[in-house]
Amino acid sequence: MNVAGRIIACLDVKRGRVVKGVQFKELRDLGDPVELARRYDAEGIDELVFLDITATDENRSTQEAWVSAVARTLSIPFTVGGGVRGVADIRRLLRAGADKVAINTQAVLTPEMIDEAAAEFGSQCVVIAMDVAKDAALGHRVFIRAGKERTELSLDAWTAEVVRRGAGEILLTSIDRDGTGDGFDLDALRTAAKSSVPVVASGGAGTEAHFADALRAGASGVLAATLFHEAILSPARLKAHLLAEGIRVRPVFESSP
Amino acid sequence: MSRALAVLDYGAGNLASLEGALARLNVPFVRFTEAAAVPPGVPLVLPGVGHFSAAKRALEARGLWELLQREGPVRGVLGVCLGLQLLCEGSEEAPGEAGLGLLTGVATRFVEPLKVPHMGWNELSQVKAHPAFPTEPSWAYFVHSYALPVSADTVDVCVYGAPFTAIAARGRVLGMQHHPEKSSAPGLAALGGATRWLLEGTDHV
Repeated sequence: MNVAGRIIACLDVKRGRVVKGVQFKELRDLGDPVELARRYDAEGIDELVFLDITATDENRSTQEAWVSAVARTLSIPFTVGGGVRGVADIRRLLRAGADKVAINTQAVLTPEMIDEAAAEFGSQCVVIAMDVAKDAALGHRVFIRAGKERTELSLDAWTAEVVRRGAGEILLTSIDRDGTGDGFDLDALRTAAKSSVPVVASGGAGTEAHFADALRAGASGVLAATLFHEAILSPARLKAHLLAEGIRVRPVFESSP
Repeated sequence: MSRALAVLDYGAGNLASLEGALARLNVPFVRFTEAAAVPPGVPLVLPGVGHFSAAKRALEARGLWELLQREGPVRGVLGVCLGLQLLCEGSEEAPGEAGLGLLTGVATRFVEPLKVPHMGWNELSQVKAHPAFPTEPSWAYFVHSYALPVSADTVDVCVYGAPFTAIAARGRVLGMQHHPEKSSAPGLAALGGATRWLLEGTDHV
């Protein structure tokens, strides 16, 4: 029997508050990370990903404060990513209580940090976040700096490299599908899921069926933000759909911690 | 007044989360970094994330390995995740190195085509009753690459490729392979049950 497919909610955090971008201009304040995390736990979400979009060094103490507050109150696992520049950042976030740390741009710039992190903390907490977009001629390419810069890396090659270096999970975001609601990029997902580590699909979720498609295509977890934030789709309804489709997920429990 | 559990701090990664869960459960605990400071008789909690050898060395350096080995079965001890594997006879992760030997078996590595680590939610099922685990088995969150085969000490199994030991107990030596502190309400209930059983038992020791 296999492990259950994980339903993951993603929260963007800026200066210690959960925010949501409105048409790439203003950021709307959605609330306190701890409160939102507890709500998702109670609703039956299996795991959370927090992406800190504050790009300043002064953010560190604020970040440690909310990460440790989340760790003290949340009883499901959570990953923290955003602006991780070295092993020292990973150590800081894990000490504050994060279960896993996601590395994106810096892993491409200095890939040896994956080896160092896996050796010091274990592969299980090293997540490589990959933003990919499809090029008609070249296939799927890896992008860095929040999707602004295309690299020479193919999805195939980068997946093999991060696994060889000790990554424990891949968080695969399709730039093409992100925010469209048209469904996950199943081609990219199938490519990454050939590897020996779990892959979380991100970008494009619009309906219950999209989650089923991704889990059938090899995703170990499926991530969405807006669908859950805006209560367009509840974890309970999504899981009922997946169970009816014969896909193994953790049932939603009545009681909350 | 009931005594407090001694949570052994040797640098393990899940210490803060485990303590957070105990605090939410109102289970009294005190953190200790060296064996000499641990009061006589109190039950021990052994957290653990990371490498078997590194954890063993860190425990030895603080005198905690000897304390666990000598007094664990009498005081009572709960090992979580790597903590469970340390309580056993050894692990393929550290060939030739002895574990504490308080639970049966040697942890073996999951092999492909399974995804390794076994990361995510999976279902437990009970194979025998034990008073420290009175609640119905439920779903739990796992993150591990090595697992203990099913033995006479197995209380609950989980299936990943093949059945492995999710919860083990031999007398007052208890182990949980999953992370009860990360397993939502059912995990907290199981952690509360096991730790309270350890504390109540100290009245009779």
